[in-house]
Amino acid sequence: MHLHRHSISLRRLCRTSIVFQLLLISGFWVAGEAIVRVTGLPVPGAIVGMLIVLALLSTGKLSLHTVQRGARWFLAEMLLFFVPAVLAVLDHPEFLGMLGLKILAVIVFSTVMVMVVTAAVIDVCYRWDVARKGVGHAE
Amino acid sequence: MRSDILVNAVFWSLLTVGLYALGKALYHRKPTWWTSPLLLAPVLLIAAAVACHQSYREYIRGTHWLVVLLAPVTVAFAVPIYEQRLLIRKHWLLLVAGAAAGSATAMFSSWALATVFGLDGGLRLSLLPRSLSTPFAMTVSGDIGGVPTLTAVFVVITGVFGAVIGELLLGVLPFRSALARGALLGMGAHGAGTAKAHQIDGEVGAVAGLVMVMVGVMNVLAAPSVAKLLQWVG
Repeated sequence: MHLHRHSISLRRLCRTSIVFQLLLISGFWVAGEAIVRVTGLPVPGAIVGMLIVLALLSTGKLSLHTVQRGARWFLAEMLLFFVPAVLAVLDHPEFLGMLGLKILAVIVFSTVMVMVVTAAVIDVCYRWDVARKGVGHAE
Repeated sequence: MRSDILVNAVFWSLLTVGLYALGKALYHRKPTWWTSPLLLAPVLLIAAAVACHQSYREYIRGTHWLVVLLAPVTVAFAVPIYEQRLLIRKHWLLLVAGAAAGSATAMFSSWALATVFGLDGGLRLSLLPRSLSTPFAMTVSGDIGGVPTLTAVFVVITGVFGAVIGELLLGVLPFRSALARGALLGMGAHGAGTAKAHQIDGEVGAVAGLVMVMVGVMNVLAAPSVAKLLQWVG
């Protein structure tokens, strides 16, 4: 009885407080990290944490309201967490010059190709799929 | 000495968050490629670091906590993927096909272009997995004989430029479905592309996040075979 009342107030806290949602999501990351440490899976702990949350949401063990606002906040501010890593170029003065321009050219041209090919493959398959299903309906 | 380190950490953390917030506000007012927070904030920070003779080691010691937060961000991807589960369940095979085609293109075009530009050895190999998000990319890089820390730098450069390139491409290419648009950003520019995708639309963002995770797992599984192929090519 006592435990039950506690779990309800915890749930209410999660729904009203974004800070608790952020902590809860971080908790799933720590759990994923622990699982990887114990089992030696070749996957980052954060991915395991994501799969745990996805499984809990799918089976209804976790309500969307309990993590939704926290997740939205993390995703909205995601770029901030990339910024410090960019400064790693300070450690590579050799990239300031011809070598850096060559590397940049490889990255830019290759990225354009990757993006165009990926989207084109999906777009063509999607149209083919829609056309095929359309014919199926007509029959 | 200890307080020096603390002051340093607080100063660079505040400057990083502050410049990001400034970049974001500016982007909100004038959304063009050069006001993108992932371009403006790092450029200004690098200028500040060079002006202050700050090394990367000292900088990252104080701001590493921001990078650590990328892990819970990855966990948070579960929410948009769950929200778009109907779309994804219906079209998962399309996304697998796109991810496989994109991965093959990333590896092959990086290798070919690097060869054309006269880059070889560890540098060329380190470029191959740069379209993946950092933890996956570093794993694959080590597996195929690259230098994981070098790959980490290339991953970031790909993210910074990929988010900008992706937005420009979406403006000129005739892809209208959320599947194609999301996969373009998630495959081509990992987390940075996914962040851009979430700015465009929740559906596009969910697809981008899923593709990013899918591509990472697929590449880690394929890495040993790729390593054999590379040995055979020479």
